[in-house]
Amino acid sequence: MTATIGLLAILLATAASLVLIVRAWRQATAAEPDASRVRTPVLVMLSSAAVAFLMLEAAIINDNFSLSYVSANSSTTTPLIFKLAGAWAALEGSIVLWGLVLALLVYFVSRSVLTNDRLGLTAIAVMGVVSLFWFGLMATVANPFEVCTELVGGACGQTSWLPFVHTVAPIDGIGANPLLQNHILMAIHPPMLYIGYVGFTAPFAFAIAAMIRGEQGSVWLERTRRWSVIAWAFLGFGMLLGAWWSYEVLGWGGYWGWDPVENAALLPFLVATAFIHSAVVQRRRGMLQAWNLILVIATFSLTIVGTFLTRSGTIISVHSFTQSEVGPILLGFLLVVVISSLALFAWRSHLVSSAPRLDSIASREGVFLLNNLVLTVFALAVMMGTMYPVILEAMGRARVSVSAPYYNRVTIPVAFLLLLAMGIGPVTPYRLARPAIVWPRIATPIVVGLVAGAFAVLIGVHSIPVVLLVVLGVFVIATIAGELVRQLAKVEGSRPVAIGRLLRRDPGYWGGQISHIGVAVLAIAIAASSGLALREQVNLAKGESATVGGYCLVYVGPNSRTEPNRQVIGAVLSLRGADCEREIGTLEPVFNSYARPPAVATPSVHTGLTEDFFVALADVPGDDVSLKVMIFPLMWLLWTGGMIAVAGGIWAVYARKPERLRRAQKVEVDA
Amino acid sequence: MIRRYWKFLVPAVLLLGVIAVLLVNLSNNLVYFHTPTELHHEVAPSADRLRLGGQVVAGTVTTEGNTLFLTVTDGRETLDVIHSGVVPQLFDEGQGVIVEGTWDGSKFHSDTMLIRHDEQYRTEDNEIYDTINHELEES
Repeated sequence: MTATIGLLAILLATAASLVLIVRAWRQATAAEPDASRVRTPVLVMLSSAAVAFLMLEAAIINDNFSLSYVSANSSTTTPLIFKLAGAWAALEGSIVLWGLVLALLVYFVSRSVLTNDRLGLTAIAVMGVVSLFWFGLMATVANPFEVCTELVGGACGQTSWLPFVHTVAPIDGIGANPLLQNHILMAIHPPMLYIGYVGFTAPFAFAIAAMIRGEQGSVWLERTRRWSVIAWAFLGFGMLLGAWWSYEVLGWGGYWGWDPVENAALLPFLVATAFIHSAVVQRRRGMLQAWNLILVIATFSLTIVGTFLTRSGTIISVHSFTQSEVGPILLGFLLVVVISSLALFAWRSHLVSSAPRLDSIASREGVFLLNNLVLTVFALAVMMGTMYPVILEAMGRARVSVSAPYYNRVTIPVAFLLLLAMGIGPVTPYRLARPAIVWPRIATPIVVGLVAGAFAVLIGVHSIPVVLLVVLGVFVIATIAGELVRQLAKVEGSRPVAIGRLLRRDPGYWGGQISHIGVAVLAIAIAASSGLALREQVNLAKGESATVGGYCLVYVGPNSRTEPNRQVIGAVLSLRGADCEREIGTLEPVFNSYARPPAVATPSVHTGLTEDFFVALADVPGDDVSLKVMIFPLMWLLWTGGMIAVAGGIWAVYARKPERLRRAQKVEVDA
Repeated sequence: MIRRYWKFLVPAVLLLGVIAVLLVNLSNNLVYFHTPTELHHEVAPSADRLRLGGQVVAGTVTTEGNTLFLTVTDGRETLDVIHSGVVPQLFDEGQGVIVEGTWDGSKFHSDTMLIRHDEQYRTEDNEIYDTINHELEES
């Protein structure tokens, strides 16, 4: 029953997106457009997407193993929270969630479409095309409501697309994926990424609509600014959660491995970051209009590249690409999007863009250009590193992998340049920046940065890149603090009140500065945690202790137990100060084995103010234990920096300007 | 006219330069992946870093201090591996592994053993081994 309703809902959503395209396009080209005509298909699409999602959740909660998706991703012993998260644990289910997020986006965008709003209606039609693709995918090759018609050895052997047939159900499912149910973060991380990925559909649709309609100016940008920033913030947050999960669960002692799956999320994020910055230049100065179109097309295309890379199996081996049904379809969709958008760009972009000249490279526009150049080159480098092995293998050449030094070598200079631009740009005037204006604003911060660098050297940091990143990171933060103090002089009220007023006066600018502080903190923390990390392998007998990096680690003994959904084999360790007397905490790295392999080793981490003490099991513990011990400086700062960067994006979108100011600006616009 | 050409030529040359630098960097950091059969017959011993993928032959794993001795197979031929370094938690006999290191013509000296995740949340080495098996069956 749930399968039947679910599949019908998907088919209805597919039909609704088709109707939406036709109606939105007709109204956009009608003599008297009537935006209310698109309301019904939007609501039908949204409600059927929601029904499909709820049916999938219901099937998982009720242990309806006649659905092959449910039996492959859940079991009777799976805890409820991971049953719920199981709805987006694998390809078919994650596309259902994707479709729901997309339908919500279409709904919110359609609410902003006024009655004779041709640009908005055209954009809705474009979003309808994107929706049609995703719902069509669900209705065909990625149907999550496939039912089981024949059992082979207790598992589902034969499936049917049609839910009306006679179905059989395995007694129990295989269970949620061990890596997924090992940590709550893995349940939150994918939806965040999807909101990020899907969110870029809005600016893309408006950009395409502006080109189709030949509408000059920045209306499409203005109207989609909030969606771009929200999508950017969610994508960043999703990556941060993924990194955190990797650190807390995978036990290899890192948070970012330049894995193609990670790069798949980083690529659209980098280009979107470039877009958000160059969009400011277009809104303020009318420049870079064609470039913004390219960036938004690239961002949207890269979200599909990311989905393609992670979902088609191409990363594992090009040869598994042909074995998956969605791979070729996603690749086809990608090609259609890229070719048609670029063709449209070549044909119509001259109608949309006019390019005022850059007055001087020494201006805020100039710094924005540097930012864009660095970010796009960085994206190109990551793209090459990710795609090179895929292309080489596809040509029948060798199987290769690109090792981390390639990325690290590119990232370090990129980080220097970006931080430099971040420190100088926000205090540089538009049009022409005279040194006499800029210099006083950055002189003190430079000194502060250098002092911080000297301090780092004094406390024993000898890695040149780490010291340079500290200097630049502190310089960025000091510049922003200086600017805050400078501008505070113009605002009335006591300190906290005045800061609140100032930050709300221009949420776009200050939200950006908050993000910059976050990025600077993140850069320092990444440099410290990777450049100054300590890694050791330690073997201990019961009761024995070892000294690692100023700590004393004592092996208390093994500790195994059975939990409802898993078998836990752990080693209890006592972390003490260098004297082996004062206890700092107890650590228990474990192996978790679930019904389905592989067993997952979960490290145990003690987070301190200056560093993390990280222990993972290297072998099954017994009378003696083999441990991987790592010490990462400033890890908490890394997560905090990432959160601040995301918070800046949220501030830029949601901070409400003071009533008085909004009215004043409205008058200005009306006039 | 000349100014118009410059407008496109300068960025194009810069872009090509950037790509060239990236490609050089890329080719310096490539690690080739081989099966035991390929190493025996196609790959000359050298100091270059390589990756070797295969299944751990049951009963071949012994340890001596922090050094691990194992034999891997691709279903056709076997190869002895001397691994010094961290051993991932998931390591077990009969399982697929990827090791990274150098090939001296008779043994593989590795210092890195890989367990990575893919979007299917499975360990990648199993996947790759499945793929290798698949290819062997086809050939």
